[in-house]
Amino acid sequence: MNTDNAIEIRGLHRSFGKTDAVNGLDLTVTKGRCYGLFGRNGAGKTTTIKCLLNLIRPGSGTVPVFGMDPEKKEVEVKSRLAYVPDTVGFHHWMRVRDVLEYAASFRARWNTDLQVDLLDRFALDLTQKADTLSKGQKMQLALITAVCPEPDLLVLDEPTTGLDPIARREFMESVIGAYQDAAPGERTILVSTHLIMEFEGLIDEFTIMEAGRDRLTMEADAARERFVKVRARFDAEPPTFETSDAIRLTREGRELEFILNGNRDRVLARVRELGPLEVEEESLSLEEIFLVARHLGGKES
Amino acid sequence: MTLRQVVRIQINYKTGAPVYQQIVEQVKLAAASGSLRAGDALPGIRPLAERLRVNRNTVAKAYAELESQGLAESRPGKGCFLSENASPYRKGVRQKLLADVIDAAIVQAHHLQIAEEEFMKLAERRFREFDKRKGDA
Repeated sequence: MNTDNAIEIRGLHRSFGKTDAVNGLDLTVTKGRCYGLFGRNGAGKTTTIKCLLNLIRPGSGTVPVFGMDPEKKEVEVKSRLAYVPDTVGFHHWMRVRDVLEYAASFRARWNTDLQVDLLDRFALDLTQKADTLSKGQKMQLALITAVCPEPDLLVLDEPTTGLDPIARREFMESVIGAYQDAAPGERTILVSTHLIMEFEGLIDEFTIMEAGRDRLTMEADAARERFVKVRARFDAEPPTFETSDAIRLTREGRELEFILNGNRDRVLARVRELGPLEVEEESLSLEEIFLVARHLGGKES
Repeated sequence: MTLRQVVRIQINYKTGAPVYQQIVEQVKLAAASGSLRAGDALPGIRPLAERLRVNRNTVAKAYAELESQGLAESRPGKGCFLSENASPYRKGVRQKLLADVIDAAIVQAHHLQIAEEEFMKLAERRFREFDKRKGDA
């Protein structure tokens, strides 16, 4: 166990009846990172998160959080993290103020300045009944209750699903910025999502989950450098071109197009030897990388 | 003019260049072009991170890189400032900035099958073109 790791999942298995929800997952989240857990619905993201929170128990494997077993050290683990599920609800009789006071009552610490700052940014009214808030406002309130105790780990499960596109774009970076700003390098975020575009610049590192396993784990910058769409235009039908470093290679009209998966310089040099008129390179976004990950071989890292 | 207007940092994910590196390069460019001067404050880490919609770690890494290159200095509690002796004004750095752009043009010339001689002639023609425009103005 490395003490620089907030989360260190090894060989996690969890099944429900005959269905394997998580099937041999390895995942390491270093302290201070904003880590993305990407996957389609049913890939095993929520089951994984629930194991970290001891809401369900692993079938096998280990899921230490800050080096502690979430089952044996439940209180210690939970006092150091905050969790926001994909749908949030509040007691119907509570006003915004009551929700905040109630949440604060469970916590050793509560940053009041941060609460005031975020309430102001989101223009939330302390006296409004919480269950009359819009979906986006409810999520904002839940996020405030999660960051004000200044936990060491913030776990967000599909935080932007169900929100309209404007709400989605507006507040994730505010909350994440406010949370991490006070103690850079110490505060860790694990966010699961299939709406990857919203998190493009926020994610330091990610794991793409598929059928309960880690399909691809990479740093965001390294991934964008590795996966590059290449389009070469010729003055006639392009010559045949084969390489094991290309995904989805197509020859259409006078164009040769493929997605590079490593060995950039070598493959591009070979393309140029074919004498194209023009070669365009464009890095894939994290969302596009998520879409091509299915075409890759087994586990990669 | 506020700083926000002076430093127009924009992130382009399609280049594949690391995000922090893009910030470093654009601050250097702003310094080299004179739109940022010695002693000017760089945008705060959190506001810039929010505006660019990137992780604050990324902006912090960019500023740390600028510091380690001697281009910026952080003053505790006040933020990050362009160094008084910021080396963007040094010839070597200015040349490096230009060399990157020229390299890109050379690669493009190669794709377009424009030979060195033709490239140089074109460059000279462009210089004359600019001289002429300057003369007219």
